[in-house]
Amino acid sequence: MLYKKKWPLLVFLVPGFVMMLVFLYLPFINNIRGSLYDMTSVVQMPGQEFKFIGLENYKNLFIDPKIRIAIINSFKMMGLTIVFQIGTALLLAILVDSIKHGQQFFRIVYFFPIVISATAIGLIFKLFYNYNGGMLNQLLEHFGKEPINWLAPSIAFVMISIPTLWSYVGFYFVILLTGINGISDEMYEAAAIDGCSKFKQVFYITLPLLRGVICTCVTLGVTGALKVFDLPWAIVPKGAPQGVTHFLGTYMYEQTFTISNFDYGSTIALLIVIFGVVVSWIVSRIIRPDKNLEYGGAE
Amino acid sequence: MSNMKKVLVMLLSIVLVFSFFTACGKEGTPAGNKVDTKDKDNKKTDDKDVTDKQNPVTLITVSMYGGTDPNAENYQRHNAEFMADYSYVTIEDDSQSADQDWKTKIAADFAVGNEPDVIQYFTDANASDVLAADKFVSIDEIKAEYPDYAGDILASALKAASNPDGVSRAVPTTGYWEGLFCNKDLFDKFNLELPTDWDKMLTAIDTFKANNIVPIAVSLNNVPHYWVEFLMLSAAGPDGYSVVPTQAPADWAKGLDMFKTLRDLGAFPVDTDTIDNDLAGELFKNKEAAMQLDGSWYAGGIPDQDNTVLVSFPVIPGGKAQAGAMVGGISSGFYITKKAWNDPDKRDAAVKFVMAHTSKEAITDYWGGNGQAAAAVDPLSTMTPLGVSGLEYSSAATSISSPTDARISQEAYNTLIAGIVDVSTGAKSSTDLLNEVLAINAK
Amino acid sequence: MKRKLSIGYVIIYLVLILWAITTIFPFVWVINNSFKPSREVVNSSFSLPKEFTLANYENAFEKQNILTSYYNSMVISGSVTISVMILSSMMAFAMTRYNFKGKSIINSLIISSLMFPAFSTIIPVFKMMTDFNLLNKAISVILPQIAGNLSFATLVMMGFLRGIPLEMEEAAYMEGAGVGSVFVRIITPLLRPALATVAIFCFLWSYNDLFTQLIMIRRRVKYPISALLIEISSKYGKDFGLMAAAVTLIIVPVLLVYVFLQKNIIKGLTAGAIKG
Repeated sequence: MLYKKKWPLLVFLVPGFVMMLVFLYLPFINNIRGSLYDMTSVVQMPGQEFKFIGLENYKNLFIDPKIRIAIINSFKMMGLTIVFQIGTALLLAILVDSIKHGQQFFRIVYFFPIVISATAIGLIFKLFYNYNGGMLNQLLEHFGKEPINWLAPSIAFVMISIPTLWSYVGFYFVILLTGINGISDEMYEAAAIDGCSKFKQVFYITLPLLRGVICTCVTLGVTGALKVFDLPWAIVPKGAPQGVTHFLGTYMYEQTFTISNFDYGSTIALLIVIFGVVVSWIVSRIIRPDKNLEYGGAE
Repeated sequence: MSNMKKVLVMLLSIVLVFSFFTACGKEGTPAGNKVDTKDKDNKKTDDKDVTDKQNPVTLITVSMYGGTDPNAENYQRHNAEFMADYSYVTIEDDSQSADQDWKTKIAADFAVGNEPDVIQYFTDANASDVLAADKFVSIDEIKAEYPDYAGDILASALKAASNPDGVSRAVPTTGYWEGLFCNKDLFDKFNLELPTDWDKMLTAIDTFKANNIVPIAVSLNNVPHYWVEFLMLSAAGPDGYSVVPTQAPADWAKGLDMFKTLRDLGAFPVDTDTIDNDLAGELFKNKEAAMQLDGSWYAGGIPDQDNTVLVSFPVIPGGKAQAGAMVGGISSGFYITKKAWNDPDKRDAAVKFVMAHTSKEAITDYWGGNGQAAAAVDPLSTMTPLGVSGLEYSSAATSISSPTDARISQEAYNTLIAGIVDVSTGAKSSTDLLNEVLAINAK
Repeated sequence: MKRKLSIGYVIIYLVLILWAITTIFPFVWVINNSFKPSREVVNSSFSLPKEFTLANYENAFEKQNILTSYYNSMVISGSVTISVMILSSMMAFAMTRYNFKGKSIINSLIISSLMFPAFSTIIPVFKMMTDFNLLNKAISVILPQIAGNLSFATLVMMGFLRGIPLEMEEAAYMEGAGVGSVFVRIITPLLRPALATVAIFCFLWSYNDLFTQLIMIRRRVKYPISALLIEISSKYGKDFGLMAAAVTLIIVPVLLVYVFLQKNIIKGLTAGAIKG
């Protein structure tokens, strides 16, 4: 009854939607248009014409060996995110829920890395990994060992992944913990009376009931993994060493802002969005959340 | 819940207070400024240049004397002096060291009409997208009204700083050279000769390597530029180096192949693929590395001015260059934009600003014995041994060539730089990389 | 009640404390090193400062106008946070309480915009800002940041609003309240926990979003505080002590805000994630 009249809809929906239209959708469409032209500068100068090159950039996606690395790394990162980021967060959340003292403390400190900008975390890890006088090599030196090049091509991907995964565990931890707190104690008590061990309770009560929340986390996680950019870039820019740590986000930034290949950068941006939409659709198909949560992804 | 309410109320009130201040600030600042300048104007009425009708001028300036540039301090000092001399002018300066991100931003500024009033910028192909906007006033046009403009500048320097279309728009201050810096004390310690030819270079690399000293400090991922230039120059000679071909010249490729040879010899730092250029420089300055190829601006920041020397780049085996071939030139200068020129208040201030920074005195400061001065400066009475070594090195040069980025498009040059690590590991052949680069340039 | 001390609990606490150490350690390390001269940071980054010095902070304050930067940051992030709170609750209200044609299209538009990388929209937005002559003004950062955070915020709010039964609103309607007063008097108070969540995330993301800030704001006097970090690391790249001090200056205010607000975040997230 209250919501029969439709005119208030305009008042509530339009201001926000206009913001998104003007500052997200239109620029993005502009971006797609740019990918069809040979852009010689960031913005078209007065009197300057960009040459129309059609789908050349899109063809290039198939032959560029570096984008292949970037795609593979981004998908690897998705897998790692699900297993390690959300996995660790789930484990920690279950453990924290099972203790009586200090819950509050862990909730605060686990969230710390999210509060700090990825650039700052990147700088901290850069100081850890430095070959000359970095923290890790200082440790090795202390124990009389030879210094290690922590960012050598063979291990660089792992070394970049560690801080990237670590820094957002707290985000999922908080979401999952609140989910666990929402499960009523009565269910656990009943299970305990039936002789169900704590360990079994996790598998038969906690996990099934968390299905919806886990789905939210996975969707946020995989789309977040596609956009990974600032942390790897702050530790080593340009996918160094030797391009092995390129992600779609970093490769797009390099093409656009370091190499000045603006049109190819725009092409990669579209690729990121397409992957994101497809992957989050697949996730919702596979996990089928019990509760119809409407989350998409996060920064 | 009540706690929540308090927090929200607090947050809201903080923001409100802040936005209140902004609103006030916006209205307050210009008014405050006016009072300020009026005050000063009154005090300076005896100054013959400042007449009553001088409107306050805010000049927006950008230079490359920012960041770690050794001239940043000199530049700021001259700005302060300028503002003291012309009290009605306020300088709002946004100088930064010139890297690729900065160039992209400047180009965007020019494209959308956000250009500054005066800018010190590149004069060669590096400036092509900015020049395409056609927003600079030519020196001839300025001279028609201000005959003294660029008066201290040598004709040859002015010519060297003209744009690719042959028109002079920028007033240069200094030129630069690039050269091989060596920690002489390290060479002495291991009884090595300075790398004046390639064999000595190889001996030095082997010996340093064996003694846990980094032979050559360079970040291939970050700034391999100097090595790219010298290896190509050395292989192709000044003539072959200065052409803009459409197919990869065999000489250029041979020069770039040397990256792999040197890398396989262990000449570069272990972490050359990931280290920052600044950190690589620290290795050299802390005597943990023996050699570094860099520009004349690097000399001022080296702490040990006594034991650091410059050596001409040794010709690589089979190279066509003569000993003493050098990369250098004049590639930047102060421009006045049409925006400032067409503004009656700003025109005079902008001209005076450029003249203050390109006077003989200012140029002497900026030069400081490093590189080449664009005016007829008097020799410095106090020069460090490194300064002397630099001067000897550059005056002994048999040829001076401007670097490749002065000739090819930025996207092409950036692609070249981005591909160097792959060439050094053998993942990509130098010929393929050069063909790719030249194809982009021809686009 | 007596606490049972079993092996299981010891292991659980051990694991939790280990993880806590990883999240606390980097910050202790940075704060500790910010009180050392640069040389000492390179040589012995673990020990407590041999000579305790505030030189890095003095240096940072000398090189940058820190107070102005804090102020600029507060204006930008504060405005973004407030605007997103208002706009997203309105949008979520419309999306959950009304049925209309094209609702699913708008819904999927909101979700897909979460995937837009910030740097793919920034150049057209930059062009737009210069056309409106807004460059270098706080508003040029505020507007795109609002748009960027709006979709996440709206989704959280929608999840939350779905869980609130209509009865109270219907009752108010019976008593003669209009849509406007239902929104202000009933919905907004109920939304508080979700608003808190949205507020903290928007504030953090806006405060830490260096990219938009650096593109839109070119004048040093207008720099927000996070830009200081990049400025210092690019300018004084090897001065680790100064860098540690800069990082500390940037993180301490947000850490304080977080610790202060954290109870509410958890409440908000509970509501948003579960009752969806």
